[in-house]
Amino acid sequence: MEVNNTFSPIDIATSGLRAHSKQIEVISSNIANARTTDVGNGMPYRRLDAAFKAEDDEIGGVNLDKIFPDMSDFHRIFDPGNPNADEKGYVLMPNVNVPIEMMNLTVATRAYQANAAILKRYQQMVETTLELLK
Amino acid sequence: MSKTNSIFDFLEAGIRAESLRQKAIANNIANLETSGYRRIDVKFEELLAKALNSSGSVDLSELEPQIHQPLQTPVNSNGNDVSLESEVGQMVKNTLRYKAYIRLLNKKYNQMELAMNIK
Repeated sequence: MEVNNTFSPIDIATSGLRAHSKQIEVISSNIANARTTDVGNGMPYRRLDAAFKAEDDEIGGVNLDKIFPDMSDFHRIFDPGNPNADEKGYVLMPNVNVPIEMMNLTVATRAYQANAAILKRYQQMVETTLELLK
Repeated sequence: MSKTNSIFDFLEAGIRAESLRQKAIANNIANLETSGYRRIDVKFEELLAKALNSSGSVDLSELEPQIHQPLQTPVNSNGNDVSLESEVGQMVKNTLRYKAYIRLLNKKYNQMELAMNIK
């Protein structure tokens, strides 16, 4: 006898919740470090991005596969008073664009909500079935 | 003496397992921020399947659900591997199963009552 412990829509929705909450974590790190000029090695903070991956090639959940640095150029601002400024008075700033991060945050939040909605709706569906047992 | 299992025995075993699992989930959620805590889970379905596969009859009242640590989920910087989302999902599943067992039990009692009321 095989044991099948899956309630798959619930597991899939849960995987979506986890992946998107991790993505929100990445976005918060970007926003928190939007003005970090030194991460310990003298370089500014480099924006992080997240990539999703399907758990299966069939019906299945999602995983946050990789968190990778965004290799786009750093911004340069003129701030001679800054201790990290070069001899010309320019400081390298992180390659984070706060408006873009806010937009990504909205997308991630909506995706999280959508997964929570699936979870709730499926729960209601099973409860409808269980009503038949009354 | 070998004992045949009634529907009640199966339902009772299931309810026992699910209520223990509910406790395990509550414990995991309570330790969401405890550093070094690894989540616990209840092993029951596998044990039941194994017992039913083996020849001879099984005494379901002696089949105890077991608490174990799967140690499979990724650990965060805290050394903790509980994810609130996963626990909530588990809890929803658990509640639905529990509800199904209780409803079936209720159905069974209603049948008995019906039989007793025949005049």
